[in-house]
Order: sequence, then structure tokens, then C-alpha cells
Amino acid sequence: MGAPAGGNARRKPFVAWPVIVAGVGFAGLLVAFPPFHIVTKRADDAPPANASTGVVAVAAFDAVAFAEKFWSDQLAPAAARAPGAAVLLADLRRDPAAAAKTHAHRVGLGNAAFYFVRGTGRVTAVERSRLLLEINGAVVALRTGPVFGNVVRDGCGLLDVNQVPGLAEFNALSAELNRLVEARVQPPLKTVAVGATITFAGCAEAPESLPAAGPLLTFIPVTAEVTP
Amino acid sequence: MKNSCFVRALACLLLIGLTVASVGTSAAADVKPAVVRKVAVVVSTLNNPWFVVLADAARDRAKELGYNAVVFDSQNDPAKEAQHFDNLISAGYSAVLFNCTDAKGSIANVRRAKAAGIPVFCMDREIEANDAATSQILSDNYSGCVALGQYFIEVVGEEGKYVELLGLVADTNTWNRSKGFHSVVDRFPGLKMVAQQSADFDRTKALEVLEAILQAHPDINAVFCGNDAMAMGAYQALLAAGKAGKVKVFGFDGADDVVKAVAEGKIAATVMQFPKIMARTAAENADRYIKGERNFPQRTPVAVELVNRETVHKFGDYGRK
Repeated sequence: MGAPAGGNARRKPFVAWPVIVAGVGFAGLLVAFPPFHIVTKRADDAPPANASTGVVAVAAFDAVAFAEKFWSDQLAPAAARAPGAAVLLADLRRDPAAAAKTHAHRVGLGNAAFYFVRGTGRVTAVERSRLLLEINGAVVALRTGPVFGNVVRDGCGLLDVNQVPGLAEFNALSAELNRLVEARVQPPLKTVAVGATITFAGCAEAPESLPAAGPLLTFIPVTAEVTP
Repeated sequence: MKNSCFVRALACLLLIGLTVASVGTSAAADVKPAVVRKVAVVVSTLNNPWFVVLADAARDRAKELGYNAVVFDSQNDPAKEAQHFDNLISAGYSAVLFNCTDAKGSIANVRRAKAAGIPVFCMDREIEANDAATSQILSDNYSGCVALGQYFIEVVGEEGKYVELLGLVADTNTWNRSKGFHSVVDRFPGLKMVAQQSADFDRTKALEVLEAILQAHPDINAVFCGNDAMAMGAYQALLAAGKAGKVKVFGFDGADDVVKAVAEGKIAATVMQFPKIMARTAAENADRYIKGERNFPQRTPVAVELVNRETVHKFGDYGRK
């Protein structure tokens, strides 16, 4: 049994052209006036990421506790392994700009740069708010008077503003570190005499050029041992 | 049967048409020139040349990077600032370079922009939130005023009477500057602050406030002003009272007129902030964000520098020469 052959019901040929023309026309209309668009999802359509790194949630910030913990857990160990001052001073006397490139670290944007080193020197002068030390023929100062500013906070290279809730807290931390220097490090330095030997670790602002006179650098000490 | 074929053919054509249309338009969208994106520069005030420089530098850098940049002036009014954010959110801006009017009050505006998918990049003035702005490029005001305070001791001495003119009390910069200055001068008990008043960072207000203070305290030795506009107002008040040159005036910002006044010995010192660096960095961060980068530190401090008679030759045009 074969397939039914259609018999006498002969099909009338289907006229396709009008349909094709209508379809193409319709497709053309769709191209011209699309009912919807498929577009690539752009990266910036995503909600802004909370991209800060290591930001502590805004909460009551305890600068005293933070500074105490930072001092014992991070600053003291880092001071013990800080690079030697003698190499820095030799480089500084040759070329301050090159020395800064090699030894200094910078904080944020701008020209501020700092050194964090340790060294041993002989006291050559005792002044009102500083001692002068000779290290391998170079003279530096150790501050013994009130400590101001952010040299310790920014100079040690261990702290970032994004570790605390904001600038006010970062400044409070700086003031607290300065207080710790005055309370813990400076007292034995206030009674030393010329000729004593001091081993210290400290932070100093990097100068743009060599000073015309006076010490090459002024260090805020974070550790100091005196040998009379 | 005939109808069935016709319907099938039409459905196929429709499907082809739709596919061609969608792919075609997608492809067309990819190849046709990109629409110029808009970047808004919302600045606290244009009634102070320093902020004009900040806004212009942000706008110009955004334009250099290929954006259509528009400056909105909040006129130190948080309500105007909120309106600007409403407008720029509805207008489909791609990013906001923002100098706020209020460290706390402006957070809501930044959050609304963020919710609408618009990243905000703060310049100079901080908002007190870590999860709202994409990044904040901020002057290290505290350090600048520590340096200014130390210079103050050097030229005024360890004894004397002085006045402090504060900026806007709702701005964190006002207090970071004041605290930095006091972290130094308060260590010298011989220095007495006889008056501390806000003049809203405004030159005219500073003139009026200091004139009133001078009536009660004609024997002051110095005036510490939280910005340069107030320093110029204070200098005018002292000039009118015949005390210019006798009373030392200290400012903050590094505005061109004050840098010149420092060179001429009219103003004792100021602190150079770098508005152009901050504005350009914010614009460049916005560009990087729009191009897909997401890893920005929340805050980036910008170092500031003391400008006095010894260092003034290094500075000009709102930065280093």
C-alpha cells in the first residue's frame, strides 16, 4: 500500500511572493523601529562597589587603645628591623633626591616623604628640644621636646588612613602616638650628656635638598637606648 | 494546509525579523559613535576663588578625558546641593566630582546617587561615611596646620594673645585645621586665645567678625584664620584699625592673592593645598571607574605645604611653580 496520492484533489500552487514581500517589509520595519534592544551590560551599570580596602566600620574609635596595640604589635618589631641610618645618611649627603627615591616612602599624593631607620651615634650637643648625634661623620638631631604632627604616624610606613574610620580619627591616632613618644621614649634622652652613645630607631621627614647648616635630618625617636 | 503554511512562513519571517532587528541594533549600538557621557562637578561654593579653581580644574580634566562636564554651584546651601543631586540623577550623569557642603548632611545625597548607579568622587572636603563615595581625595589639613602652628610659635613667640577665625562649623576641614593648630599652640601656656568665632570661610564675614573682636581685644598679637579668604578679610579689618603689620595674620589654602600677600609681608603665612591635583585626580578616578576599574582606596590624603616668606618663591597659581 502506497501513500495516498492525493488523487484528484490537485493542490492549487501557493503564491509565496506576496507573503515574502510582506515579511521582508515587516522585518524592515522591525529593523527601523525595533520593539526592544539587546545591549551589552556595561560595567558601570553595576552599583558602585565598596572598593575601600580594609575600612573599619564607622564606630566609636578608641585612639588610645589603637595606638597602644599598634605600638606593641607593629611599631616596636618594625623598629627592631628598620634599615640602618648610616647607609641612608651617606646616600643623602651624595644626592638627596636619589636617596629619597631609594630609602623614603611617600604617603598619599604630594611631596611629603619620610625615612624610618635605626642607628647608633655619639651625642655632640644637647639643646633645648633636641640632641645632636654624630653617625659616621654625619650629624642628625633627635627630638626631645614636644612632638607635633604626623611624622611618626606617616613616617613609620605601617599605617594607612583607610585603617580607621576617617581623617579625624587618623589625626587623633597621630596625637596619641606623639604622646607615647613623649611618655615612653624621650624621658631618658632628656638627661643625657655630650659624649653619651644612643642607639635609636626613628622617623624623619625627607628634605628636598640638603640643609645649608645644622643636622641632615631630625628624627622623632620611637625607641632609644642610652649608654653614658 | 494553505493557511498553515502561510502562518508558518509568517512566523519564520517574524522570528528572522526580530532576530535581525535585535542583533542588528546591538551591532549598530556597538559600532555607532559612543554617546558623550556626562560628568557633574558639584562644588560647595563659587563665591571663593579657591573653589572656582577646584571646580574648573575638575571640569577641564573631565573634558580632556572626553566627557561633557557641567559645574553645579551649591552656594554653601545643603538644600541647593540636594536639588543638584536630584537633577543630575534624573539627567543620567555617569559620575559626580563632589565638594560637599556638610560632612554629615551630604552623605544622603551621595547615597542617593550611589543607589541610582552614579559613583561619587569627593574632592577636598570629606564626607563622614566609608561606604557611600567611591573615593575621597582629601587635603591633609591637620598636618598643614601643625606646620603653621610651629611657624606661628616662631614668629609670634611663646607668649601673646591671638584670635581664631573658624570656617564652616559643619565642615570637617574646619576642625582638622583648628585641631592641628591647637595641637601645637596649646602646648605653650603663655599664648592666650582671646576669641574663637566662625566666619564661615567668608572674607566679608571675617572682616565684620574681627572688627567686632578688635573692639573688645585691641591688644592682640595674631589672628589664625581657617582659610585664606578669611585671612584677607582679617587683614582688611586690621588695615582699617591701623594694626596691619603689627598683628600677624595666618591663613590656609594657598590662594593666589594670599601667596602674593605673603611675598609682600602682609600675611605671615598660609598653607598651600593643591586644588588642581585633587580635582584632576578625582576626574581621573571617575574615568577609570567608568572604564571598569573598581579598586579605589576610600581616602587618599594630599600633602600640603607651608608658605612663608622663605618658601613663597616656590609657589604660585594654586600649586608649586
